[in-house]
Amino acid sequence: MRRTLLVAGRVVRQLLRNPRFLVLSVAAPLVIVYLLKIFFDTLPPTFDVARYAVPVAAFLVHFLAFLLCAISLVQERTMGTMERMFINGFRRTEIIAGYVLGFLGLATFQAVAGLAEAIWLFELDYDGETLAMLFVVVWLLAIASVMLGIFISTFARHEGQVFPFVPLIILPSVFLSGLLVDVDELPTWADWLGHAFPLFWANDVIQDVIESGWTFEDVQRSLVILVGYSIALLLLASRTLREVE
Amino acid sequence: MDAIEVSGLTKRYGRVEALQGADLSVDRGEVFGLVGPNGAGKTTLIKGLVGALRPSGGEARVMGLNPLRDRAELRRRIGYMPQSSALYEDLSARGNVRFFGAAHRTPDLRKKVDEAIHFTDLSGRADDPVHTFSGGMKRRVSLACALVHRPEMIFLDEPTAAMDPQLRSRFWKTFRELASDGTTLFISTHLMDEAMLCDRIAILLSGRILTADTPRSILERGKTRLTVEQNGTEEEATIGGHPEDLATALRPYGLRPGVTAIDVETDTLEAVVLSLIEKEEIA
Repeated sequence: MRRTLLVAGRVVRQLLRNPRFLVLSVAAPLVIVYLLKIFFDTLPPTFDVARYAVPVAAFLVHFLAFLLCAISLVQERTMGTMERMFINGFRRTEIIAGYVLGFLGLATFQAVAGLAEAIWLFELDYDGETLAMLFVVVWLLAIASVMLGIFISTFARHEGQVFPFVPLIILPSVFLSGLLVDVDELPTWADWLGHAFPLFWANDVIQDVIESGWTFEDVQRSLVILVGYSIALLLLASRTLREVE
Repeated sequence: MDAIEVSGLTKRYGRVEALQGADLSVDRGEVFGLVGPNGAGKTTLIKGLVGALRPSGGEARVMGLNPLRDRAELRRRIGYMPQSSALYEDLSARGNVRFFGAAHRTPDLRKKVDEAIHFTDLSGRADDPVHTFSGGMKRRVSLACALVHRPEMIFLDEPTAAMDPQLRSRFWKTFRELASDGTTLFISTHLMDEAMLCDRIAILLSGRILTADTPRSILERGKTRLTVEQNGTEEEATIGGHPEDLATALRPYGLRPGVTAIDVETDTLEAVVLSLIEKEEIA
């Protein structure tokens, strides 16, 4: 636990001392949500903005949390600090858990900022419980994204090898997670494939709670799956992170 | 017990054999140099010894421990300075040293971090971010990270590569200070003048140890060219590199009045090592 906290503390210190990284991870999603607002303003007033605003904000948090975490970890490998951590006695689980804890703060901030901006810009009127649930689901999605970033980073030897995973994993989720169209309207295989993306389960919760009259039972299953997704990725990453060449 | 015992160590990367049955033993408290050209397998051997690499065959023991099976205990007792700086550039020198030192549950960590920083002559810039440092300063931070927890043995992979002579000399002074306190140092280098500073060296070529001995003994395997000017004529002879060979060769000339000049030219360590490598390659 002590070494996990050491890694987490070091990750946080590094994030705070890297303004470019912070600006990219926090300001970029805010700017994109604003661009989305400008785009939606051109559409007819009958267009259901609420159906898309929060899910798109959630997607941005998902994408950036994944990418930034994956790149940070791959940089550890290219710089040689990963090997040095291992030789200094850090264990795989300690490094991974330290990264999760370190990025948790950033993921929380991204979730709060992205969600708050979407709700404010699109003038969405939700009650306190709905807002709380939206925050919880975007936050859980951000954690799953950090886990996904850690897992994918174990397959990359340098930063450039992370990018092929973006069209492989992140972009298909835009079309297959119910973000743009209901998955029921997709062919059966695509519908099934869509269930493999964490964004699908997050979007499922978001669509449920932005409808009035939702109950916790309606979203419980998707939330549990989202948490399970994170745990499964964490376990997988702790198997695939190479300690020895 | 030897500090390091290696027998028949091999490592294959696909069809490339980086180590082809290396054999080696290193005594405790010595400064041991692993000498070889680029691509000889120096880094692979060091990684095999610190447990960062799974050998394809053979056996290695470091302080009696198996580098893979006993890696938790081994890593408490060794320090490692890799070839790249392997530092967090956004953190300060002190931040880096403290992070790697804390991993070992080092008692009196704050004091030991200060001492490591002082020892590597970084006190003036200890709180500056590493990305503002020159290459030489980064190597000093890297060395401080490797020795902060006071390991019994330190592995240094080309620690002085691309360093100016002044800093290189300072590094070697530091290594000697560590060795005088009983620390075993295992240093890889391709610089022959550095090899001369080691207690013993091993010459690694294509993943195999050609020879391991003191630099002086290896030097004695070279040749000495003797030119004697006597009564206006020059006599040339090539003799062995051992000092006794020279004494024997000079004895006949005694105090002859006709001898007006004697020129002795001995092989350098580099020449001896190159000839050993050439012989091996021909064989």
